[in-house]
Amino acid sequence: MKIGILSFAHHHGEAYIQNLRTIPQVELLGVADEDSSRGKQIARENEVRFFQTFEEVLDAAPDGVIICSENNKHRQLVEMAADAGVNILCEKPIATTIEDARAIVDACHRAGVLLMTAFPMRFSTPLVEVKNRLDAGDFGEVYCFNSTNQGELPSVHRDWFVDKTLAGGGAVMDHTVHLVDIMRWYLGKDVTEVYAQTNHIIHADQVDVETGGLEMITFENGTFATIDSSWSRPPYWPSWGGLAFEMITERGAILVDAFRQNLTVYSHAWQRAGWAFWGSNANQAMLNEFITAIQEKREPCVTGYDGFKAVEVVVAAYTSAERGQPVSLPLE
Amino acid sequence: MGATHAQAWSETDANIAGIVAETVEEAQPLATRYGASVYPDFAAMLAKVDVVDICTPTHLHFEMVMAAAAFGKDVICEKPLARTVKQASAMIAACRNAGVQLLVAHVVRYFPEYALAKASVDAGQIGHPGIIRLSRGSYRPKKPLGNWFLDEEKSGGILLDLMIHDFDYARWIAGEVESVYAQKVSTRHPDAPIDYGLAILRHSNNTLSHITGAWAYPPHTFRTHIEISGDEGLIEFDSDNTAPIQSLLLKSGQGDTPDVALPSSPLSESPYTTQIKEFYAALQGNQIARVSAEDGLAAVQISQAAFQSARSGEAVSLASFMELMS
Repeated sequence: MKIGILSFAHHHGEAYIQNLRTIPQVELLGVADEDSSRGKQIARENEVRFFQTFEEVLDAAPDGVIICSENNKHRQLVEMAADAGVNILCEKPIATTIEDARAIVDACHRAGVLLMTAFPMRFSTPLVEVKNRLDAGDFGEVYCFNSTNQGELPSVHRDWFVDKTLAGGGAVMDHTVHLVDIMRWYLGKDVTEVYAQTNHIIHADQVDVETGGLEMITFENGTFATIDSSWSRPPYWPSWGGLAFEMITERGAILVDAFRQNLTVYSHAWQRAGWAFWGSNANQAMLNEFITAIQEKREPCVTGYDGFKAVEVVVAAYTSAERGQPVSLPLE
Repeated sequence: MGATHAQAWSETDANIAGIVAETVEEAQPLATRYGASVYPDFAAMLAKVDVVDICTPTHLHFEMVMAAAAFGKDVICEKPLARTVKQASAMIAACRNAGVQLLVAHVVRYFPEYALAKASVDAGQIGHPGIIRLSRGSYRPKKPLGNWFLDEEKSGGILLDLMIHDFDYARWIAGEVESVYAQKVSTRHPDAPIDYGLAILRHSNNTLSHITGAWAYPPHTFRTHIEISGDEGLIEFDSDNTAPIQSLLLKSGQGDTPDVALPSSPLSESPYTTQIKEFYAALQGNQIARVSAEDGLAAVQISQAAFQSARSGEAVSLASFMELMS
């Protein structure tokens, strides 16, 4: 099976090369990047073929592509790949506007190609374990979630993450969708109301977008949840950040941390404590699912529609933050 | 709480002159221990003491503080100052008119981890706070007599009784609160075996606070967490990770579950004692207590606004809320 990567604007693209290499049936066809010097260097370092344009990758007839462009360029690349009849794994958030998210889902539907959103937390082993126990009825009814997806300022990886146009916003755009998706998956319910507050205090001197975000969302069954999506981890935090939640149920609380499986390493080189993750690789499991879904010609377990529903919550969060009141979903 | 305060008072020069409880029998052991008299009712005791320390259920604070003020006695009142903003305002006015002090026992301000975090912020160690996260969790309170904690009319429920601690602390750190949005489990599920509240506060200086209150854990659990992210650093405290003693004993030596879980982390002085000592100094005019009656009122305002938000599903602006109350 031939797979290509379109753009390395998102740094996950490099990790995906390694993940793809471990899947026996995958042939890594090659990569393209609008920043050709960056793309060439990554291609050289990873010994993969560099294509001059995205079209050339698609002309080489891949079975699937992974789109790792800036958020606001997802639509253009998805539509290009869909037109070429190529299956797609698209980085999250799938788009920066409802219109783009809908267009992405529609284009893939029309073209009959598979569209998966890169929500690796669906494959996090601690989160899967809790989902299985939830489905087995271990906890009874779920009343609410108290969740965090806090991170460092992501411009340490790429500048565009803090660019309002390219990223579509700041911390709320970056760090809300994972938890929204996890909770939609856990509950099998959609969000009907979103309240959000944002601010611009942490890293205020470095970026223009919001760096602090607290949201409270309500699902159609009355389950409610807070999400802290702030870029509130200092640069000397032991890791990039984390994703954790407390799930409150009829039987009490379950505390889940997707990134707790760490060694704490104190290195002269770092001059601070560092967390070295030894848990299972969720990105790998996500790519395995993408490849298997293509092979089996079925929907992946996390779809483009899931990506769309998460974007809807983000857009509602920005509207709510502006108004200071909760906003109902679906948006008009 | 009365027994805890009595222990704290015994560590000052003050004389515990009298004790009133629901019944004379209930008051007797404490009275014997501290050499105090037992009074059949509050009015009988008021004439005989200089200061009263009110540790009764929340819904009784109002009439007792008003009575103390009428008698010209200084008052210490357990948090929440009152069941409602209206009551709290009236209590403050009555004490001011009577020329008596009113001190509100927001003891969290006296816990060393909270006091140190406040001092660290004030010293500029983490710059300007951007996001504050505070949580406080325990099991569902049990009370053999009447279970007043669980009666929302009496206790104000989890938003007032439990989360007021952190509403007050957030305001102490980041200043006045502009708006509140809150939800709690008991609003949607009145019959749920647990309760859990979540609130988002926006402060006037744009700091955001996330407050969690849990009556959702197994018996004996008590956990608190502080996280203050500033533009120049971050402070974190987690009671789970900082407990200096862990007991991995083969058989529990513990008796029945206490009425309300009190944190236990060995200190040379109980925070309750630190608080009562400061109050005692304030009553003697030697010191200004770190928490004022107005702070107690402001905390009730935030709690009541949160309650209204949970009920209405809307964010509540504190300014318009106050207009409504006045």
